[in-house]
Amino acid sequence: MAEKTEHTSETGSSGTGSRSRRAGWDFSLMVATVGLLGALGLQSLVGTLFSWWAYRTVPGWEQTGYAGFIDVMNLIAGPLVVALIVVMGLCVPKRLFSRRTLLVVSAGMLVLGAGVGVVRGSFLTGLGVYLGVSAFIQVAVVVLTIADAGGLEYVTEGRLAKVGSGLLHLGFIVFALTIVALQSSSMMMLAFMTAGVLLTGGSAMSFYARSSSRGPVDER
Amino acid sequence: MLTADFIILSLDSARQTLAALGQVLNVAILVACVAVLAAVVVPRLRPRLRMTLAGLVGALTVGELALLWFHVRLWQLCQVTDPSTGLVTGSFAIPIWIESEKLYVWALLVAVLALVARRHGDEMRPILAVGAVALAAGAVLVSQPFTAPLPDFFAQYSSYLTASRSGDINMAYNAFRSAESSRLYFYNAWYMWVHPPLLFFSYGAFVVSFAATLLMVFRRRSSYEQTAYRWARLGYLPLTLGMVVGMPWAIIAWSGDAWWWSGKVNMSIMMWVLYTAYLHSRIYLRRRGMWKVVAVLAVLSFVALVLTYITTYVVPGAHSVA
Repeated sequence: MAEKTEHTSETGSSGTGSRSRRAGWDFSLMVATVGLLGALGLQSLVGTLFSWWAYRTVPGWEQTGYAGFIDVMNLIAGPLVVALIVVMGLCVPKRLFSRRTLLVVSAGMLVLGAGVGVVRGSFLTGLGVYLGVSAFIQVAVVVLTIADAGGLEYVTEGRLAKVGSGLLHLGFIVFALTIVALQSSSMMMLAFMTAGVLLTGGSAMSFYARSSSRGPVDER
Repeated sequence: MLTADFIILSLDSARQTLAALGQVLNVAILVACVAVLAAVVVPRLRPRLRMTLAGLVGALTVGELALLWFHVRLWQLCQVTDPSTGLVTGSFAIPIWIESEKLYVWALLVAVLALVARRHGDEMRPILAVGAVALAAGAVLVSQPFTAPLPDFFAQYSSYLTASRSGDINMAYNAFRSAESSRLYFYNAWYMWVHPPLLFFSYGAFVVSFAATLLMVFRRRSSYEQTAYRWARLGYLPLTLGMVVGMPWAIIAWSGDAWWWSGKVNMSIMMWVLYTAYLHSRIYLRRRGMWKVVAVLAVLSFVALVLTYITTYVVPGAHSVA
């Protein structure tokens, strides 16, 4: 997901062309992330309202209609989760690799996942492959970030915050992978706990390693 | 091994004791609620707000201790015995934050936070105090943890005792299996000792964050926004951990049940994604007008929290009492 840059193009105080473009790109990624999260939230709300209505009006709906309801919800949520992970893939390592490289790698992963899904005739298999590759790449990103590779430059963000961001995104991918592919596995409990530790620990590092001050809001 | 007759008599005695204590405690809590409201509403009494809040916290804490004693008695008395072997398989170790006690725990937590809030304490305390009063009054008047304790548990355990005394071995065995399943996978499950308190703590932190957001919206001062953010990030950590550790338990305990995408699960996901969006969008708070987006997301997140809580009692499903 998008990270903060300290660029202040809106104030016109220190912008160069490339930094301005980078700030716009970062902001676009943040907007995309929030939009996708909002879409997932809206889906959840509509799903709740629908199930409330169905329970009240369709006798025995849990036995007759619930399985179809889950299929529809999964069908809607799947692409949203994939899109979220694509945005993360573009965002988290954006100080490590060029934008072009990230776009090519992301497109390649999508094609790989879709290809496997088509060949095996299973959306879930394709999604599992995509998430597996994403997890692998995210681990590499976290390791590179810890190693301070790629000439990382952050004006205000410490490396700890960036590592935390990488870990929480890895946690999200592991969580999604566990739901998609490991629910029946003996590794299920370990995978969920790993996701929980990565998400919570990564969030804590990301939150507390940076200042909570963001300057004045539009005061009257 | 305790006999069914002894268990029934002892449970009745414990419930009567709790109800008698509860009648006094209910009055004390409601009186404390009125005192807190008076201190919020009447300017002349405002300097007494912390003192009245301390009274509310004290009354609620005594009530919590009474509930703790009651749960210890349940653990001592409520045994489950396998009718096929005659062996005791265990007792019910019931956490003090389930069924009719949920709202009570939340009320106590918010009252404590209202009392100890330091950053913007003078401005935040009245808002938090009203929230604590609403929750405490709701707990006492609607949930009734002292006079109607653990209704689902007692319904099931009474059925188990009745069946075990009936002399019908099939009925006794079916009741045993049902009670033992509830004991292992719900009441005594490790998850029930971890998942709910993590969420209650996060809910408490989000209440404080919401109070600060309201102040930011009406007074337009960035320091309120920082306070809202600090409490929101504090609440987000146990919310995330609590939700993630709930998943494997749900997969195991609700295997075969229709729980995925059920109403409560849906609303919990909505709450989590909205808080994620709020905390994430805040990174760009310095952009012109962005604070309005952040404020809207903060308010929507809290609305989602309230709806998530209500959904448990309104929308049927595996994670519901509707």
